[in-house]
Amino acid sequence: MYEVTIIGGGPGGVAAGIYAARKKLNAILVADSFGGQSVVSNDIQNWIGIKTISGFDLAKQLEEHLKAQTGIEIVEGDRVLKIEKQKKGFVVTTQEGKSWGTQTILLAIGSRRRELNVSGEKEFWGNGVAYCGTCDAPLFAGKRVAVVGGGNSGLETVLDLVPYAKEIFLLHRNSMLKGDPITQEKIRKEPKVALLLNTEVQMIMGKKTVTGLHYRKAGTKKEFTLDVEGVFVEIGSVPNADLVKDFVELNTWGQIVVDHKTQRSSDPGIWAAGDVTDGFYKQNNISVGDSIKAVMNIYDALRAKGQMV
Amino acid sequence: MTVKIYSTPSCVYCKMLKEYLKQKNIAFEDADVLHNLKARDEMVQKSHQMGVPVADINGQIFVGFNRSEIARALGI
Repeated sequence: MYEVTIIGGGPGGVAAGIYAARKKLNAILVADSFGGQSVVSNDIQNWIGIKTISGFDLAKQLEEHLKAQTGIEIVEGDRVLKIEKQKKGFVVTTQEGKSWGTQTILLAIGSRRRELNVSGEKEFWGNGVAYCGTCDAPLFAGKRVAVVGGGNSGLETVLDLVPYAKEIFLLHRNSMLKGDPITQEKIRKEPKVALLLNTEVQMIMGKKTVTGLHYRKAGTKKEFTLDVEGVFVEIGSVPNADLVKDFVELNTWGQIVVDHKTQRSSDPGIWAAGDVTDGFYKQNNISVGDSIKAVMNIYDALRAKGQMV
Repeated sequence: MTVKIYSTPSCVYCKMLKEYLKQKNIAFEDADVLHNLKARDEMVQKSHQMGVPVADINGQIFVGFNRSEIARALGI
């Protein structure tokens, strides 16, 4: 039986793996891939200690740092399918059929993109509806494109599209953009970009591929049509807490409720860190801190204080 | 076995997929659908969509990079 199972390969999971190895905990880490959500970012400028790094390079460095540790077992390219609570500890089973017992679990499983849930979104996914600006922006060369969402990912998607698209419409629900002021300034300077604030997307239309979308001005019933050939959806994320929803307390948004001094959840054997938790701010640097706090507390719970779980 | 990857230069998942194949010593043809319009049409025809990466492994088409799916198709 392992002392701790760490789930996640983002900055949080990797930090936990490194600390667990250094604490000589009998640990196993499961990661589908390394790097977390910012792996698609072209340029990360707020990872502390490095002025600028791409998400891809950060992912590689995280992976290398983790793999330089000894004494931690790593299950890569696989996902945890279920967690079963036992009298003592848990049994973890993966998609590829691996299974093991563990005394404690640290969930650093992040969040996934939120969908608009409007008609046409699923139908035209990959045929004009896109979720990855850095990946797919070049395929919209010379086209009119909408970006939905005024947070950092929406703003970055606009910037990804600027070199290619003919015109870019940024639709945001509220009257003020949410992303970093520095990025907002860049976007406001772009003659190709039009801001459509206080707008709610109602549906996405198309034939074989997207031809446009309907949106409504917030608080009114008036609908407008926007002719675009592409819609990039960047409206935030939903926590990946499904794995433990049956035995761990979640809040209304489905985030795992933790004690922020220790990162321990309502289940005494489960800790959580980063974007999957009810912490207010979702940041790489914060996930790292959360995870380290969690590993230290797990260590205390298992060893130093002798409180077996 | 023939493996063809359709990608754009800026796409990180494309890079991850290609690095994975290299790491496993799998030879593949890489088609840049940003510059090569013929390859872009071919990709849309095969995958019925415009997102990258697309992998054609012996005629089996995969959109995106799901490591275990790709590994299974390659028999590794």
